[in-house]
Amino acid sequence: MPLQHEHEFLVTGSHDEMNRQHYVSRLRMHILNQIGAGMRGVYENRVKPKFKQTNGRVPKNEHEIRKAMLADSYGKTWSTMMVNCQDMVWESVRPAIERAQPGLNEKVSRVKATHGSIVLNSDVKVPRYLAGADIHRMPGNYHTERATDDVTQGALYDRGRFVYNGGAAGPFADGIPRTMAAYIKARWPDFKPKKILELGCTIGTSTVPFVDAFPDAEVHAIDVSAPSLRYGHARAEALGKPIHFHQMDAEALDFEDQSFDLVYSCIIFHETSRKAYPKILEECKRILKPGGQMIHTELTPVANMDDFDAFYIDWDAYYNNEPFYQTYTSLDPEEWVTKAGFEPSKFFQASIPDLDRSPPDVFAGAVRNPTVADRKAARVGESAKWYTYGAWK
Amino acid sequence: MSDKIKITPVNRGKRPAFFDDPAIDQLMAIVMSMSAEMSVLYDRVDTIERLLDNKGTLSRDDIEAFRPDQDTEDERNVRRNEYIARLFRIIHEERESLVSHDKMDEYNELMDELAKP
Repeated sequence: MPLQHEHEFLVTGSHDEMNRQHYVSRLRMHILNQIGAGMRGVYENRVKPKFKQTNGRVPKNEHEIRKAMLADSYGKTWSTMMVNCQDMVWESVRPAIERAQPGLNEKVSRVKATHGSIVLNSDVKVPRYLAGADIHRMPGNYHTERATDDVTQGALYDRGRFVYNGGAAGPFADGIPRTMAAYIKARWPDFKPKKILELGCTIGTSTVPFVDAFPDAEVHAIDVSAPSLRYGHARAEALGKPIHFHQMDAEALDFEDQSFDLVYSCIIFHETSRKAYPKILEECKRILKPGGQMIHTELTPVANMDDFDAFYIDWDAYYNNEPFYQTYTSLDPEEWVTKAGFEPSKFFQASIPDLDRSPPDVFAGAVRNPTVADRKAARVGESAKWYTYGAWK
Repeated sequence: MSDKIKITPVNRGKRPAFFDDPAIDQLMAIVMSMSAEMSVLYDRVDTIERLLDNKGTLSRDDIEAFRPDQDTEDERNVRRNEYIARLFRIIHEERESLVSHDKMDEYNELMDELAKP
């Protein structure tokens, strides 16, 4: 696994702290993949037969599977390890960032907007879907302001997410957006967006690859979290990437109608709400120019999963603080994109092989022949395909 | 601006316990933390050995300043993965025992076959 690229504002830690972070990454991958690999066998050989004996039938959905799995010792052990490891991720990063403060805030506040820009708006309210739960058990979530000009949560997210992923998304933690940008260029080579917008950019790790892929375009990125935006802006300046950051709510963008050629997001919808999702899609439609493209990478819809795989969604919703996860994955993207006003014939969807973790011919094949993989083949951590959907205006 | 910043949860909720006795969840958390501390200690020894290999002498500052390159990190990850597998072997044994239980019929057939005169 690669080491993280150390830009000027990244806080890693001391010799021992970094080794602790690297260990937690490996431990998390072990629980997820090695110990997790036993879960289905436990279900099929022990939990399902026992359920059948008691109830005279097999579990009818993922909720019943979750309850039955959590009554089994293996399910309990896996679960307690998952939750604890999640907390160990943030805990491994916390002391170094606390020590770096308030110096890090001061350093970031001195950053000049040379390549891009940042516009904050304190009138933007943090939506309930972020204020209500520390998503992924990250202490303080993406948005908590702990001081004036604070960037703490941005720093926590930058290093913490790298530990969480075990570097699986590359040194810049950008595997998904890099894959998306490469896919757009390969599948629609004549599409040359001049103005691009990313929704829910947090610290801009998912924005930078679009600057690289479309060097002639003007790239904007929005988020509601000021600490993430301040940090993201400093990071982008340190990397020399022209990105215009705005503090905005994706449900009500300040941009004019028909002002962008491309609007995209990377795995944000399942962290929003049933009320916000359609509004965000409608905003995408409004701000796109005719002929423009909307494209989102998200979790594969639950309709494409078997009940046991859906159990993991259920588990995450309850124990990894993902309150909208279940509802989001039960929605049909095509239906909601169409309801937002896009023509049904302009809808597209595909499972895209990860650029770093697939042979080039597999990626090229997926460009030529777009298909949606079933969930079994697309679970995060098990394989490397990203479900992507969108529409042309 | 000069106030210390503490990173605290805001809305994380109650920590879930999965075992009937929450002390078991706590014990597992302690074991996992201890596993991390042992790994950190091993990495520190590894750093000392590498520095001694290269220079024959070292200071505490040398240790603190040491950052593994990609090859060193890859070697450490192999060792960490093996260490984790050894440490949590009992959990894997349970998983494997389920599979072999599944194959009991096959095993019984083998016994019968071998018992034939």
